[in-house]
Amino acid sequence: MSSPRGALRSAEDFARGRPMLVSLLLLAPVLLLLLLFFFAPLAELANLSTFAQQPTRQVPRPPHSLVNYVKILSDPFYLQVAATSVLVGGCTTIATLAIAYPIAFYVTRIAGWERTLISVACLLPIFVNVIVGILGWYILLLPYGLVQQVLSALGLVEGSLQLLRSFPALVVVLTYEHMPFAVLILVSSLQAVPIDKINAARLLGASTARIVANIIMPLTMPGLVASAILVFSLSASSYLTPILIGGQRIRVLPLMIFSYGTELLNWPLAAALAIVLLVIVVAITYLFAAAMNRLSKRGQWEMV
Amino acid sequence: MLGLRIFTYLIVALMLLPVLVTFPVALSAVPRISFPPVGFSSRWFLAILSDQVLLGTIARSLWLGLGAALIGVLVALPCAFVVERGRFRGRDLLETGITSPRMMPQIVLALALLVFFEAIGLAESFVGLVISHLVITIPFAFRTLLVSVATLDRRLEWSSDVLGASPTQTFLRVMAPQLKTGLIAALIFTFILSFNNVTLALFLSGFGERTLPVEMFQRMNVGGMTPVIPAISFVLALIGVVLFVFLDRTIGVYRFLAGRD
Repeated sequence: MSSPRGALRSAEDFARGRPMLVSLLLLAPVLLLLLLFFFAPLAELANLSTFAQQPTRQVPRPPHSLVNYVKILSDPFYLQVAATSVLVGGCTTIATLAIAYPIAFYVTRIAGWERTLISVACLLPIFVNVIVGILGWYILLLPYGLVQQVLSALGLVEGSLQLLRSFPALVVVLTYEHMPFAVLILVSSLQAVPIDKINAARLLGASTARIVANIIMPLTMPGLVASAILVFSLSASSYLTPILIGGQRIRVLPLMIFSYGTELLNWPLAAALAIVLLVIVVAITYLFAAAMNRLSKRGQWEMV
Repeated sequence: MLGLRIFTYLIVALMLLPVLVTFPVALSAVPRISFPPVGFSSRWFLAILSDQVLLGTIARSLWLGLGAALIGVLVALPCAFVVERGRFRGRDLLETGITSPRMMPQIVLALALLVFFEAIGLAESFVGLVISHLVITIPFAFRTLLVSVATLDRRLEWSSDVLGASPTQTFLRVMAPQLKTGLIAALIFTFILSFNNVTLALFLSGFGERTLPVEMFQRMNVGGMTPVIPAISFVLALIGVVLFVFLDRTIGVYRFLAGRD
């Protein structure tokens, strides 16, 4: 039942006995907005990606063809760019989860100001503009910047070092940026692990390693999968960090989409590249989720 | 546990370092980015206040954030009620539909809106920018409010109803107080989301109509950036930390940011 709480008196009378209509009215602004400015533009983008050439005033609707997709899928350059995007997303996801999981575990065991301090640090990239974080890393990674000074002082490197514009630097900054999303999901997932189960296992003599592997990991698998999917789809489609930290050296799909979309003004090709990026992200996350599901059905990740 | 503690604090240091490093760099006396900084002066912090372009972008970003947050929360609240309390077929589909912009890579959405706005004459307009931000703030506000609506105590509503209050009275005097925290959280988080957005604004804001993050991005990307950008960065970081600590100590950040997952 849904009644129009907060509506005017006359609206209350009008609404009585018409729950379906009221629901629709309540939903209308959001549904209209999303239909008009989310679903319709995306459909139009897919349509545009099949145009043989950039629409002009003379030819607003060029003939449809798959020429853009053929161009992307048959050109080793674009395939390389797509592979780089997947690699960047994959490396970032692994690094982020490997760091976020232990931290999330630690956060669930503490309280008070210590918890606030660690949370501030790990969730900061949500609260502070992404450009600020990227600028900080940019300063740290500059030639003869702080990172290099520290590495030199430790005797790990000698001479000048090209940290900016490198693949590891890109993955480090993307990991920094997406840490909050993984930490958030994993904390709420780890918090839901019933303490009784852990205590029972401990009472029965299980080691900490065994408890983590046989109880905590399986129970938090959905959280791990969800955060992996989120971090992958965000980092593989990130534009700002690749352009500011990677420069034009590490070419990923979002860089191509931006330059064809706003600089070279080849919208059909930009649209096709965007659809390719979307399909890659959706396909990989879907296959990953399906594979993890399968593993859990086979018993390996069985709920305890 | 000690090893875990050391690891955690190491990462904490690494997460704070990039934000903290903007401070000494902003104190530089010379107009270029260098670490360690050359000389010492507060001129770049003062320069924020005399940089008319920067001040204009700050004002625009504030209005944009306020608009996207207020409208977003206002239209998302009824949706949260319908989805949380409705018992009809397609309810899960509806929920997925409303939250689906969250799963869409922003660069794809930005390009789609650029093309679409160009066709309907909203390109490079403030209205277009607000609409694009609503697309990303609504799902977020919706999910935050779902949590609030789900935790409403129904018995209080029934009591209010039985005692003769009209639905309007029940909403304003029984439900609104319970929803207050969730509404404030949703407003603050959607404001932050909109204020910090770069990708959509980069595609959709006009040349003289940049938002603050886009202006920062452009100055960084084009080169010739002066320490005024690290200075404004540090100020933004400070505001972010204060806001965070306030929210965490009052509402609890994990509860509202994580949503229902």
